[in-house]
Amino acid sequence: MEDDISEIIVGIMVAVLGLVGLVMASGAYDSEIFIFGLSVAGFAVVFDIGLIRRHHDRRALARHRGGNHG
Amino acid sequence: MAEPMQVPIQYNEAVVRKFVIASVFWAVVAFLVGVYIAAELAWPEANLGFSFINFGRLRPVHTSGAIFAFGGSILIGSSLYIVQRTCRARLFGGEALADFLFWGYQFFIVMAALSYVMGYSQGQEYAEPEWHIDLWLTIVWVIYAIIFVGTLLKREEPHIYVANWFLLAFILTIAVLHLVNNAAVPISMYSAKSYAVYAGVQSALIQWWYGHNAVGFFLTAGFLGMMYYFIPKQADRPIYSYRLSVVHFWSLVFMYIWAGPHHLHYTSLPDWTQTLGMVFSLMLWMPSWGGMINGLMTLSGAWDKLRTNPALRFSVTAVGFYGMSTFEGPVLSIRDVNALAHYTDWVVGHVHSGTLGWNAFISFGAIYYLVPALWKRSGLYSNRLVAWHYWISTLGIVLYISSMWVAGIMQGLMWRAYDAFGFLQYSFAESVNAVHPYYVIRWMGGVMFFVGALIMVYNLVMTVRSPSTNLSGSDAGQFGAAGAVVAGE
Repeated sequence: MEDDISEIIVGIMVAVLGLVGLVMASGAYDSEIFIFGLSVAGFAVVFDIGLIRRHHDRRALARHRGGNHG
Repeated sequence: MAEPMQVPIQYNEAVVRKFVIASVFWAVVAFLVGVYIAAELAWPEANLGFSFINFGRLRPVHTSGAIFAFGGSILIGSSLYIVQRTCRARLFGGEALADFLFWGYQFFIVMAALSYVMGYSQGQEYAEPEWHIDLWLTIVWVIYAIIFVGTLLKREEPHIYVANWFLLAFILTIAVLHLVNNAAVPISMYSAKSYAVYAGVQSALIQWWYGHNAVGFFLTAGFLGMMYYFIPKQADRPIYSYRLSVVHFWSLVFMYIWAGPHHLHYTSLPDWTQTLGMVFSLMLWMPSWGGMINGLMTLSGAWDKLRTNPALRFSVTAVGFYGMSTFEGPVLSIRDVNALAHYTDWVVGHVHSGTLGWNAFISFGAIYYLVPALWKRSGLYSNRLVAWHYWISTLGIVLYISSMWVAGIMQGLMWRAYDAFGFLQYSFAESVNAVHPYYVIRWMGGVMFFVGALIMVYNLVMTVRSPSTNLSGSDAGQFGAAGAVVAGE
């Protein structure tokens, strides 16, 4: 339960950060902000995909265990 | 009535493993960059004419790499290990929050290093990243504080073990230092350029209040938290005096925060402020040495283990270096000594006796303890290789700091020498020429330290992969309840 709530909150927070990164990259005056903004957006995508994968892995494991004991 | 059965706690060790791997990786990177820039100082042509690898850009890569990447990773990782075990509670916030802490912190390191080599810096020592990277670190650090404090709050142990006090001071004080010192106004959210809200001597004072307390709370309080957990664990002895550890904690955190102005002797900072910084630095002798004595005396009755456990040797030597560098620091803060030493390589040698001898050695000791524990191995692959690592690194440090003592004192004396007519006796270029041999010796010391780290990497990889360290049935409890009484568990 704690893990589910944590994944939702952290996932949304990282997605918002990724959007801010995209906005920064889109209007960047210098290469530093351009690279930083794109990197934050990329980080957010990869991190959130990781969260989704782990969520489904955990569900599958729970189903598997439930099947074994049921 | 039968006692209720205790459900074993599933600690989050995955995030600790990641931090340990990251710390070893960043150690190699930081030491390699250090060796390279030491070569640039001895042989400037080693720059090869590239702007992105000149000394000015790589120096913060080395310092941030060593302090924040290597030191920060092992500090955060070990703190998460310690707080779970001493509180008998799984990390607060679930796996996702801990994972964000790990990946967010690594992202900060990569972004900071990238910006340095691209030439972006706000020009403040140990606080070089520009505002956007500072903000990212603030988010990550708040998450860290939430995880740590949340775990303390949900603990199943009534007592908060002293290591956690030091770690909590490290987390909270670094947050305050980071926020205050990096207060800046960006010219636009689309530009990396920003201006500090402080100016002139106020800016300098805030910077060195930050800079010295980065030493005091990142490199001292945090690593003392490691010392108070791992030395009792490795020696299988309780802390020599728990009361002394509490006195050590309160006196250290009270005094350290005032010591920063000793970095600004003979500047436009008011005299009384400089004197205040010097006096508090001198008073720091007492808590520092109290802590050192407490760490060393923990081995009472177990000194023989230094012969058989080279990992413990790292931890204990680290405490020795802690004592030595916390003796040298106050000496350097005395105004008359500072007149000779400031801006010379003596200070560089002093910093490295602390960072290599204290921070890196206590980290190596912790890593050698943690890797078999986290990967469920029966022990290290080779104690002989740990001994090789120990001796080659120790010799490297000796070469480093002794060459910098000689170079620094010589520089100071040459810069203040006058001839019979009142003119400076030596030009600055002559002092640069005079220290060249010592720069070469310093580089050799760095190479030895780097080679030692490579030996450690090989030993750790083999510890995890070699069948010779597989856990047999009789070893299974080694990292469970064993030694439970000695470090707050």
